[in-house]
Amino acid sequence: MSEMDPRDAEIDGLLRRSMAAPVPNLPGDFEHRLIGELRRRSERLERWRRVLLGGYGVTSVFVSAAAMLGQGLDWGTISATIFAPLVLVAGAVLVKRRAETRVMRGR
Amino acid sequence: MESDSELVRRAQRGDHQAFAGLVGRHSASVFRLALSIMGREFVPEAEDVTQEVFLKVHDSIRSFRGDAEFSTWLYRIAFNQAVNVKSRARYQSPHVATADLDREAARELGTHQQVEESLRDLALAECIRTLPEVYQSALRLYYWMGAGVAEVADLLGVPEGTAKSYLYRARQLLSAMLMQRGYCDE
Repeated sequence: MSEMDPRDAEIDGLLRRSMAAPVPNLPGDFEHRLIGELRRRSERLERWRRVLLGGYGVTSVFVSAAAMLGQGLDWGTISATIFAPLVLVAGAVLVKRRAETRVMRGR
Repeated sequence: MESDSELVRRAQRGDHQAFAGLVGRHSASVFRLALSIMGREFVPEAEDVTQEVFLKVHDSIRSFRGDAEFSTWLYRIAFNQAVNVKSRARYQSPHVATADLDREAARELGTHQQVEESLRDLALAECIRTLPEVYQSALRLYYWMGAGVAEVADLLGVPEGTAKSYLYRARQLLSAMLMQRGYCDE
């Protein structure tokens, strides 16, 4: 920026004078507001995720039960077919949580 | 102090503290960049752009692979977001017609020289608004916010030589435009 021709120097000076104004800063609570907004958004998303998953689960249970009834299976077999995978998933989640708790306590 | 890439890795694993750390470290720069594109009439809009940028980054941080610096990626998002917001119709002209305000101020100032200076500043501001976004941003960062060439280059994601040439080219264009309007000596 040191070797400026006179025309360049003139416009440089003009810009310096013309643009001399206080520069605003972000409000002090910006970070706080942003984190609050992120929390609100993730809560909304979580609610939707649960509603969608719940709806999907209930629908699939009814459709599966109806299909199996149509195949002539009895209610005992239908219940076992539907609930056995759910029990397995719940068991796996429980085991994972316990392992995480042990790791946290071990720190 | 943790590096950006460490904070990013933690944020990618869902660590909110790490994300807050990234916000704290980069929010002022993102705001400056947004403001340099929007112009000084749009401070609240630049704040909104800054918030929107960090919300976008939060949503897509898992897709950041670390090929470039985090700041380069962040500033690119900020630049695009600010340009998009600015290009929407209602941002094309300031809320308050600064031209009218300046003319009014010029009338009240009194002396001929002050009126001339005010009108020339007004013409300059109008010329700046017609420059390509990247030139406008470079000019505002350098002349208004007092950023060095290195910071201009960093925020615009270009080498320092390119930032210098943006400034030089912008001055050349402004000089020609002002000359056409009769404000610069031939």
